[in-house]
Amino acid sequence: MAQSTAHRRLLQEYRALTNNPPEGITAGPVSEDDLLHWECLIQGPEGTPFEGGVFPAELKFPKDYPLAPPTMKFLADVFHPNVYPSGLVCISILHPPGDDPNHYEHASERWSPIQSVEKILISVMSMLAEPNDESPANVEAAKMWRERRDEYEKTVRDGVLRMLGL
Amino acid sequence: MASDDVPDSTDWLSTPLSGFAAVEAALRCQVCKDLYKTPMITSCCHTFCSICIRRALSNDGKCPMCRATEQELKLRSNWSMEETVEAFSKARAAALSLARSQQDGARTSRSPKRKAAGEVVAEAHEPKRLRTSARLSRNRGEASVPVTPSEEVEEQIVPDSNNDEEDEDYVPDAPNGLVPCPLCNRRMKEWQVFGHLETCPGPSAASPSRNTITPDNPSSFAQSHRKQQKTLERLPPLNYSMLKEQALRKKMSDLGISNQGPRILLEKRHKEWLTLWNANCDAAVPKKRSELLHDLDVWERTQGGRAPTMGRVAQTAAVIKDKDFDGAAWAARHDSSFRDLIASARRSRQETTKKMKTEEVDKGVEGASESSTRRYSEPVVISSSQPLEDGPTTADNVSDQHRERRSDAAPGLESTMPPSHAEPMAWELSQRPLASTPSAEGASARIVDADKY
Repeated sequence: MAQSTAHRRLLQEYRALTNNPPEGITAGPVSEDDLLHWECLIQGPEGTPFEGGVFPAELKFPKDYPLAPPTMKFLADVFHPNVYPSGLVCISILHPPGDDPNHYEHASERWSPIQSVEKILISVMSMLAEPNDESPANVEAAKMWRERRDEYEKTVRDGVLRMLGL
Repeated sequence: MASDDVPDSTDWLSTPLSGFAAVEAALRCQVCKDLYKTPMITSCCHTFCSICIRRALSNDGKCPMCRATEQELKLRSNWSMEETVEAFSKARAAALSLARSQQDGARTSRSPKRKAAGEVVAEAHEPKRLRTSARLSRNRGEASVPVTPSEEVEEQIVPDSNNDEEDEDYVPDAPNGLVPCPLCNRRMKEWQVFGHLETCPGPSAASPSRNTITPDNPSSFAQSHRKQQKTLERLPPLNYSMLKEQALRKKMSDLGISNQGPRILLEKRHKEWLTLWNANCDAAVPKKRSELLHDLDVWERTQGGRAPTMGRVAQTAAVIKDKDFDGAAWAARHDSSFRDLIASARRSRQETTKKMKTEEVDKGVEGASESSTRRYSEPVVISSSQPLEDGPTTADNVSDQHRERRSDAAPGLESTMPPSHAEPMAWELSQRPLASTPSAEGASARIVDADKY
């Protein structure tokens, strides 16, 4: 079976992630047949209300990866200003430089073929710790984060506990 | 997961030589994460594989690293990098296995590795570059400084100084007043060269100088091959919005690539061919045209018109539906699963027959076979109505093909593949008998036969 560029590159990234996994992150293709579909687990960063949680997410890669970025979607409920209620993650690294509907992101933060799964997941981890409320995906969460931080943190903690079945 | 055939710089991390992870990472393209293939340097001093940077530039015209605007025309080969990578990849396997085998004796494994690294440096043709950059700095009246990235660029941008040097190298060595043709290396009088160039067959013609090259001098080997490039002409980009569809199709057929499909696909395919072709022009040892066509075919199957847009089952169905589908090979490859399916189908039929027997005890064997005929009656109608369109002779053909399809697709295909993906006829044929009963293999063939008489 001939390998496409995306295929080859994703194998390479998978290899690097297994050899040298970044802390708090596990990721890999769901099955060998479809390398364009990955699943990953992200640990809630310490010192944040997400601490203790383990968040499953899926990554879907376009056929012309790495020219275009993948999309990332949490498979569990994540209450966060930059995560849509559907679970879709909205951060600058996942946006191609061409389209910036809100004109608030610097081109340098956005997707480029040199980015990688590892960098995306690290960005998502730091996003969990430090939300960006400039263009919220979840307005309610953003508002709560800005105005009633205690309530926000409690909601998040409750969500983590619920997810863990406690 | 076949991760063993994907070497990565992180392979070094588990060995005592973890520092080599960084060395190897520096020899890898940031876009494809593979070792540099035909590395090219941009005017912002970043190096990528030729194909990677060309693809990225045709996508958005920016350097993937720093997002500076860049044009394909400004790319220059980074030959030193290419030679470094070549030498490194030759040494890699042995070095890595040595490092792995001596996990505990870190000290012993370090010295051979250092030697390998030394080779890398020696084989890269540093001297030439140093000379050039030294001269450049002298020209500017500066004291000689170490090579900085900006100087490298200058060297790349000012091809004259390089050419001068090359000319000095080979023009004087004309012992009998003859000079070599720059393309085919045939020797001739100087005044003949220009006339000869018009008709020069290129480097494919036997050249005595190339035969003498020995593999233990890799840099000169690469250099002489470089001359080939001149015969491979890069293709100019097209302004698609200025081109009528017919003109584009004509251009593509002139290039010898498929001109089928909707307009958007045509543009994408043409762009990809341009990228493949132009990247190949950069290569030290360019691939054959047929290999490039194969690469384009891979692209077509993964990203182009024949790219899978559906699930795996439907994908398989599409492969089977393909015009040039090799039925015999497919049958051979899936022989065992066909047998399994046939066996299980027979078994389930026997079971149903048995069940019927117990239900219709009075009627006995005849009754049972009668009832099974009745069960097939519906598909009979369908298969008899269809062949009429294609002429009755195709009935056997169709049922044959359909048998192959059905056996492969049997487990759960009916639920996953929407009818729109298949031609209605094939769909009907392959689905109806299946959906109505898990009948024995060949039952449908029998149905068609029965129907004829």
